[in-house]
Amino acid sequence: MRINRNPLLYITKKILLFLVSILILSILVFYISRKAPGDPLVSYYGDRTEKMSAAERHNTMERLGLNDPIHIQYIRWIENAAKGNFGISFKYKQNVLEVIEGRITNTLILGGIGFVLTFVFSLLLGILCAWNEDSLLDRIVRQVGTAFSCIPEFWFALVLILVFSVSWGILPSSGAYSTGMENDVLNRIRHLILPMAVVISGHLWYYAYMIRNKLLEEVRADYVLLAKSKGLTKKKIMFRHCLRNIMPTFISIMAISVPHILGGTYVVETVFSYPGIGTLSYESARFHDYNLLMLLCMLTGIVVIFFNILGQAINEQIDPRIKANEAVETSEVLSYD
Amino acid sequence: MSNLLEVKNLSISFCTPYGEVEAVRDVSFELQEGEILAVVGESGCGKSVLCKAIMKLLPKNAKLKEGTIKTAGIDITAYKENEMCRLRGKLFSMVFQDPMTSLNPTIPIGNQIAEAVLVHNPKISKADLNRRVIELMELVGIQDADNRRKLYPYNFSGGMRQRSVMAMALASSPKILFADEPTTSLDVTIQAQILDLLIDVQRKLNTATVFVTHDLGVVARVADRVAVMYAGKIVEIGTAEEIFYDPRHPYTWGLLRALPAYSKGSDRLYTIPGTPPSLIDPPTGDAFASRNEYALEIDYKEAPPMFKVSETHYAATWLLSEKAPKIASPMIGGKHGN
Repeated sequence: MRINRNPLLYITKKILLFLVSILILSILVFYISRKAPGDPLVSYYGDRTEKMSAAERHNTMERLGLNDPIHIQYIRWIENAAKGNFGISFKYKQNVLEVIEGRITNTLILGGIGFVLTFVFSLLLGILCAWNEDSLLDRIVRQVGTAFSCIPEFWFALVLILVFSVSWGILPSSGAYSTGMENDVLNRIRHLILPMAVVISGHLWYYAYMIRNKLLEEVRADYVLLAKSKGLTKKKIMFRHCLRNIMPTFISIMAISVPHILGGTYVVETVFSYPGIGTLSYESARFHDYNLLMLLCMLTGIVVIFFNILGQAINEQIDPRIKANEAVETSEVLSYD
Repeated sequence: MSNLLEVKNLSISFCTPYGEVEAVRDVSFELQEGEILAVVGESGCGKSVLCKAIMKLLPKNAKLKEGTIKTAGIDITAYKENEMCRLRGKLFSMVFQDPMTSLNPTIPIGNQIAEAVLVHNPKISKADLNRRVIELMELVGIQDADNRRKLYPYNFSGGMRQRSVMAMALASSPKILFADEPTTSLDVTIQAQILDLLIDVQRKLNTATVFVTHDLGVVARVADRVAVMYAGKIVEIGTAEEIFYDPRHPYTWGLLRALPAYSKGSDRLYTIPGTPPSLIDPPTGDAFASRNEYALEIDYKEAPPMFKVSETHYAATWLLSEKAPKIASPMIGGKHGN
């Protein structure tokens, strides 16, 4: 199969798509955050805002550049952002990059490990269920999955805290580490167990079920009959044919689920007061900490859009049929009969 | 000649929510080395199920109710999946109806053929494997095999896909080939090519072939022997000569009269009146009775046994009973398909 496609053009197209998406996202977030009701000065001056006179307020707003029309503010923001200056956080009175720097590793650990584990487990569970279709295990997984997908994450998190921290007292209920034990890996792991359990269990069943159904769809396809009649064993058919054919779907699901799991992580962080960027974005949105909110939204948005585009690109590499439309001309020349 | 395949009193049922579907009912036949047996009948008469049952490729809800399947004298009726894996491909193999769906769309053709070679010959060297794949592709008439083996199924036309499926089926030189309507979904011109190929391969490799079809014209071209199936039963079986020139079962008469060649000169084509019976709770007696213009009273009460016409020719119709009125075949003097 030869496809006449310039890889450079292809990559350029994807990058352009990415940049345009980010630009649109930044405009939307900027506009919505400015228009949302609330007082940005509260996050800067706290309770003192209440005692401010109208003139004082006006001056302060002027100083923070919040009196200009939104599009002027946006142009100013994007000019600075292009130079790598994202402004200061109203609340922390510190460069927003520095604010995020201290938190982002925690989120990456929780979200990243949670993401990998979710998919390792869901793939294993999906294969197991498809292999033993309609067995007891399969039915249990399906029932539990349905139940779990209806349980909100924050509620499940509270139940876990109640059981493991309050009643049994065996696991910590909040934070990323105990005071003064920042470098103790074991202590950090203990703090991770509950949030991680919530992140994984919130998504695992759903994806396992999707993988199971996709696999069963493949198992029932005609080519499996031919593979069987060639003398291939069930194991070989499952792993060499069926699993291979669901890989594009699997990878799309993985790529698309990045924002899903990321969103889940944010909720979990808030419940467990886990010092990640999830708690931070919640705070910044609540207190109109504009610069921090913008940066966090841009970061999250970049991750989401990047993974969607990546998912599609990987898909095209694995499944030749996706590119088939572009290969029609070649195939017509090559086939005869 | 010895019996390569011997099926005795085979009955297959499917358990469905609507009841038990008796897809194959009390079927017996033999297949000799190197011969082509055609199985003909209307859609849903159990032709495909019969083949898949022998290779144990049926879904889980299919039950082998009774009967035995022997290959080369060995009873394989109770064989488990792992034992069947050793036989499939090596002893028997199958070509399916729709080559558009029977190939894995994401694996290059050559690799899929190689896989079929490797199953029963895992220690073959890479060079030998490539040589064998190219040899197989050339055997089934795919030119420029060395380049084409890297192509994907979607690069191939229907005919080439069916040739590739044949190459896979023949990879481990099976003794029996089941061809389940291999030409049905192809263009008429390609059909002829695939048929020629089947005959050609059968002559070269001396592979016994069970050829399932509903096209009697095709049967006349390829078959040594013909089995006519109706409602899950074999109603007539004999050499191609006997079935085409001396048919005895009213259903066979109906099938032959329905051939366009037989209606030459008249305005309309002949059709057999009525529809086949449902195989959920099939009628007592002869399942064909209600569509049979020569039906006797006993046809509605008791299923006819296989009456012997000659050493090779049997038919299940009460018309062959000694007590039955003598009915002249409507086929005498008729023009037969080919």
